[in-house]
Amino acid sequence: MNAASAIVLAAVVAFAALAVWRVMKKGAPCECGGTRKSCGCGCGCCGGAEGRDNASPKAGQD
Amino acid sequence: MANSVKIALAGNPNSGKTTLFNALTGSEQYVGNWPGVTVEKKDGILAGHREVVIQDLPGIYSLSPYSTEEKVSRRFLVEEGPDAILNIVDGTNIERNLYLSTQLAELGLPMVMAVNMMDVVRKNGDKIDFEKIAKALRCEVIGISALKNEGGQEAAEKAVAMAKCGEQGIGKREEGTGNGERGTGNGERRGLRRAPEVPHVFSGSVEHAIAHIEESIQGKVPLRSIRWYAIKVFERDREVINRIGLGVGEMKHIEEHIRDCEKELGDDAESIITNQRYDFIQRLMDKSLALNEKRKGKATLSDRIDKVVTHRIWAIPIFILSLCAMWWLAVAENGPGTLLTDWANDGFLADGWHLPFTTHECREEGRYKGMEFEEAQEEFAKAEATVQAWEAGEKKASIEDEETGETSEEWDVDEAAYNAAKEAKEPDPSQFGVWVPGIGALITGALERSGVSDTVKSLVVDGAWGGVATVLGFVPVIFIVFLFLAFLEDCGYMARVAFIMDRIFRKFGLSGKSFIPILIGKGCGVPAVMATRTIENERARRMTTILATFIPCGAKTVIIAMFAALFFREQWYVAALMDVVGIAIIILGGVALKKTRLFKDEAASFVLELPAYHPPTISGVWHHTWNRLKGYILKAGLIIFPACVFLWFVMHFDWSLNLLADEEIEKSILHDLGSWIAWFFEPLGFGSWQGAAASVSAEIAKEQATATLGLVAANMGGATTGSHIQALFGAVSDFPKLAALSFMVFNLFVPPCMVAIAVTFREMGSQKWGWFAVGFQLFVGYALALSVYRLGVLFAGGGFGIWTALAVVVDLFCLWAIFRPARKEAAK
Repeated sequence: MNAASAIVLAAVVAFAALAVWRVMKKGAPCECGGTRKSCGCGCGCCGGAEGRDNASPKAGQD
Repeated sequence: MANSVKIALAGNPNSGKTTLFNALTGSEQYVGNWPGVTVEKKDGILAGHREVVIQDLPGIYSLSPYSTEEKVSRRFLVEEGPDAILNIVDGTNIERNLYLSTQLAELGLPMVMAVNMMDVVRKNGDKIDFEKIAKALRCEVIGISALKNEGGQEAAEKAVAMAKCGEQGIGKREEGTGNGERGTGNGERRGLRRAPEVPHVFSGSVEHAIAHIEESIQGKVPLRSIRWYAIKVFERDREVINRIGLGVGEMKHIEEHIRDCEKELGDDAESIITNQRYDFIQRLMDKSLALNEKRKGKATLSDRIDKVVTHRIWAIPIFILSLCAMWWLAVAENGPGTLLTDWANDGFLADGWHLPFTTHECREEGRYKGMEFEEAQEEFAKAEATVQAWEAGEKKASIEDEETGETSEEWDVDEAAYNAAKEAKEPDPSQFGVWVPGIGALITGALERSGVSDTVKSLVVDGAWGGVATVLGFVPVIFIVFLFLAFLEDCGYMARVAFIMDRIFRKFGLSGKSFIPILIGKGCGVPAVMATRTIENERARRMTTILATFIPCGAKTVIIAMFAALFFREQWYVAALMDVVGIAIIILGGVALKKTRLFKDEAASFVLELPAYHPPTISGVWHHTWNRLKGYILKAGLIIFPACVFLWFVMHFDWSLNLLADEEIEKSILHDLGSWIAWFFEPLGFGSWQGAAASVSAEIAKEQATATLGLVAANMGGATTGSHIQALFGAVSDFPKLAALSFMVFNLFVPPCMVAIAVTFREMGSQKWGWFAVGFQLFVGYALALSVYRLGVLFAGGGFGIWTALAVVVDLFCLWAIFRPARKEAAK
């Protein structure tokens, strides 16, 4: 495998791992415009205490 | 934020709280014009005031805890205690909205009443005297229009000022106003000496009883809310009485006063409070509301439209027509959705496209000089056919259309024609007109230029990008569906759909309340399951949770779009039919479930307020559409991309982790995994390892089914991903269209994606109920796909087999479950 292949392979795997990590941390994005663990998501998916605990209001900050 | 100021947005359902919340905080909370959109408290920071937290509460009609969202709002207002209340009141329905306002005022918190929809009130020519309402309810009253962003900020800042005044207002408290005093549910934050001034809306004898109750509960409840607690005790609210912890002696004493009052007024305590509240509101309205004389007794435009749209007979055909219109726009052949999807799949995301409205003539010297690109492609296909025919020893050649199967006119083949045809090269689209390269071509070009190996190129182009592009290729369809739904929502039609469906649901013993989660489920199953919280009855709530995800969500729309494009181009109505089948399953599933011991119950009543029709705003429609579309695009990057990378690896490696060539894929891990479970799908007509892999991977996210199909069908015949998939279904069944329909039905109606399943388990409250829901959904999806394929094959002349017999038995069982007489207890 040449250097270019190694770099591209590493990049693809890294991006895939990053995406999985983000989903694990913030929740899956849903069709309603937000991520499921974020309280300011706008999708009504978050609900429940665990949603609020992970919340980071995404808007309104000036 | 320990020192933050909390402002609660409270009001009736559908009064515009979330619209105001979004305007105040810059948030993008989902807004709908039917009740039950907000089922949880949501926090946001007031723009320009970092220390102020605005809290959007679910809409409620009163502070009596009948449904989950009412409990959420009441618990927060009474126990947690915000610093001030911003009470949103619908100005066009002020009389009904004031019922809650009188109760909120009794809580003794600083309150600003924001009378919303003043633009409509003004347009109607009605007049509201804010001063008189403010005096009667002892709060600030401000007219606003949340939709037009008028007055909302002023109302919020007024509430903040009142809350802050309450915090610093020791001098004021000593003067005895009490407004602004803050306490927790567990007692006072600071010592209070007097209860705040609150409106007295009841007659003398009731006020007398309440005064006695106040005396009895003093010291047991926060002083600022003592009147609210006293009224609730008068109403014999069990939750409040238990919370206060009144002794038997005290309760006996209080009961005497309540009974005296009931005897005097000839009614029960709760009705006395309700009736006198309405009397108070009526008197207040007589003084402060002047309706436009010209409008009195006249039917509004909304009324006239409703006469048709909610008509006893026409309502359903109009609803189905609107669904058909949506799906025609999205998936009909030569419709805007299909044209844009073709462009996205074949051009923008793949090789590239010719700039429209320009000439596509070939610029280069040679065989194709002066020809249009399509003409050159035809010329090349003819040359290829000539070569094939000559080499096969035939004297005539023709071209067969890949999609339609039609054969062109034949032409003679000789050696001269063969030699000339052999020299022909595939036309290069970049030599014709203005050619814009697609993303796929750019990626391939970049990888080739950097000299990466074929394997890595395959990982990127076929695996990662291929999967993501398959899903993104359907963005135009999703966009049209979401845009259409947003338009129907914003103009007020969707609320009518809930009303129409309530009428139908009621006929089958179901509640129209169950339809609200289903409406929400058209976007996403997760909030749909969450929205079942608005249903008070536990059995009805569980039943709706099980059924709500049968309506095809946005992600499932991609599956519909793909199969409509590949197999049902001329039968676009198959797409609309999937929505109708979803609703039918919900109704029939509900009927069958209600006849069981687990779900037998009376249908709950459903109060629905129909908003006036109005032309949708561009920003409102765009906001709704973009929010949903954004989530879909994000999902392609965050879920589909890693899933496709993983699938590429398991498809290109064997169990010893040896890299496999494309023709060795049958030795791959994915092939083995798929083959192990393919038997499960055999009766459904797609029992191949590819069909199994696509169906199982759809549980990650429903649109993953399309991405996986694109990936696993890559080795099948044909030039494009679409033709690979067509070939895949052709290889597994003699009836590829039926197998494709069965695959689509199975993936639409089996349990939803993993996240929705997790939420279902949570909302069901127990593992047992969670598994019951998943089992029921799996049964429905499997039974439907089995019937579609096996009975379809039977009618198409494919014969009767053991699986056809099973399909008939399953269908008979379903019919029995639906039409058997209800259990006696249920009927009672």
